[in-house]
Amino acid sequence: MLKRHYSLAMSVALLLLLFSMLLSLTLGSASLTLADIVSVLFGRPSVSPLAETIVWQIRLPRLVCAVLVGAGLAVSGAVLQNASRNPLADPYLFGLMAGAGLGATLVSVVLPPQLISLALGAFAGALFAVALVFAVCAGQHWRKVEITLLAGVAVSFMLSAISSFILYFAEPFAANRVIFWLMGSLNRTDWYSVMLLAPVVVLVLLLALALRRQLDALLLSDESARTLGVNTGRLRLILLLATALLTACIVSQCGGIAFVGLMIPHIVRHFFGVTSARLLLGCAVVGALFMIWVDNLARTVLPQQEIPLGVITSLVGSVFFLLIMRRQRL
Amino acid sequence: MLELSAVCLRFGAKQVLHNISFSLQKGEFIGIIGPNGAGKSSLLRLIQGALSAQSGQILLKQRQLSSFATAELARTLAVVSQTAAPLFALTVEQVASMGLLPHKSWFELNSSYDSAQVRLALQKVGLAGKYSDVVDTLSGGEIQRLYIARALVQQPSLLLLDEPTNHLDVQYQHQILQLVKALGIPLLACLHDLNLAAMYCDKLLLLNQGEQVAFGSPAEVLQPQLMQQVFGLPCEIALHPRLHKLQVTFMPASLEPVC
Repeated sequence: MLKRHYSLAMSVALLLLLFSMLLSLTLGSASLTLADIVSVLFGRPSVSPLAETIVWQIRLPRLVCAVLVGAGLAVSGAVLQNASRNPLADPYLFGLMAGAGLGATLVSVVLPPQLISLALGAFAGALFAVALVFAVCAGQHWRKVEITLLAGVAVSFMLSAISSFILYFAEPFAANRVIFWLMGSLNRTDWYSVMLLAPVVVLVLLLALALRRQLDALLLSDESARTLGVNTGRLRLILLLATALLTACIVSQCGGIAFVGLMIPHIVRHFFGVTSARLLLGCAVVGALFMIWVDNLARTVLPQQEIPLGVITSLVGSVFFLLIMRRQRL
Repeated sequence: MLELSAVCLRFGAKQVLHNISFSLQKGEFIGIIGPNGAGKSSLLRLIQGALSAQSGQILLKQRQLSSFATAELARTLAVVSQTAAPLFALTVEQVASMGLLPHKSWFELNSSYDSAQVRLALQKVGLAGKYSDVVDTLSGGEIQRLYIARALVQQPSLLLLDEPTNHLDVQYQHQILQLVKALGIPLLACLHDLNLAAMYCDKLLLLNQGEQVAFGSPAEVLQPQLMQQVFGLPCEIALHPRLHKLQVTFMPASLEPVC
């Protein structure tokens, strides 16, 4: 991938992102024009207080969350695919989703109502899943990636089985609440979610960018990376922990949004290049762009009703992914 | 440059290397030879710092090898080994640029000097004009030369080569060894082909079942009795009349001489 191709791809993606963010703020049940949005954002007095509230308290935090969630999931996926040398790795690698599901199930069904919030329960459950995988893999110093991947799959099945067992005996309303929550949505996000997600997404992106040369070296082989002075075991541990924490934060705020972390890095490699710096920055922008439009679709396709994000990402993502795979090698 | 004294390596109860002692001076090319399982690659991995010796001493530039930090060691010695194909479609220039890694801090960007260094290394190995080619499209010889270029970008004081001519046809085997010898960097290489070793190496280290059988010039090491003892086949060793290099010919009992 030549430098000018990367510059062009990045410029186009950034312009599209800016345009999409502005357009996204106009979409919703209350009719607001692009001029209204610009007026609200720049604090012009001509705008009604209601429009200000809609933009600042409802649409903008949701939009910023979509940007952070899309960027975070795509960057996590890219880091994990390179760090594990596995193109099929995704942010839910360590049973995070199953752990979050179990946490949400326990909070909704087993524990007394209002004791712990669903988000906190999911966050704790996701971290518990990661801790289980890490406990299994710590003994072999993170050298055998396959063991980490298999441990993630095993933990995922184990925690899902426990959740299913609890939900099977739960009253239908509570079970539905957990199941719908697991499908993913941004409708519960607010400025608190932004404050939680923004620092974590930025820090993980900066960390991954700082370790971009080490991530590139891993693309050849562990042995090759070690001869370049990379401590492969320590590098993996740092990156796996950072991405697990980021994904747990995302899951706690908006449930499960599948396919973004797996698909976006492959699309970005195609248009931006395969080296980690380009990949990570490209993932941040394209992931954000993708999530904005998925959320726009989720809010507007059906009248007075939202479609879960996970349904759209899985459907759109898999079709797009298969089309690209059919046309050329990723 | 490199000095090993009475180095021993064990994997559990298994003795992999026993009492290895030799030294490599500036400008020398030492070939490590021996049959499969002799401990050649283990010795190379020991010197890379990937394995730790149970006893003995390894000095690199008059310093204990264990005192080198990982990045410092990567700035001092580079390794060319048989590397798997990259996971994604990396270009020649991107792979060669990886040699800059040990010299760079976390957020440091590549300078124009770095890019010039990478291009110079690629020119030295004859890959000028292939900067943007994807590694998958290169021939076996070109890939090996690319990894030598990456090692050159590391600016090492010592170059280790693990079977650099494996899977290459005759033309590339000579091309690679001529190339590394012309670099002027001290070289330590595991070699399977005894004739190539005799032709290009200044000294040979002969290993068998982890033991150091002989160390010296090709003429000192390539002795018919030693070769038969180590490789289990009778052999003839002759001086090539025009090249003045030793040539080893093994003669299995099943092949009767014609006259």
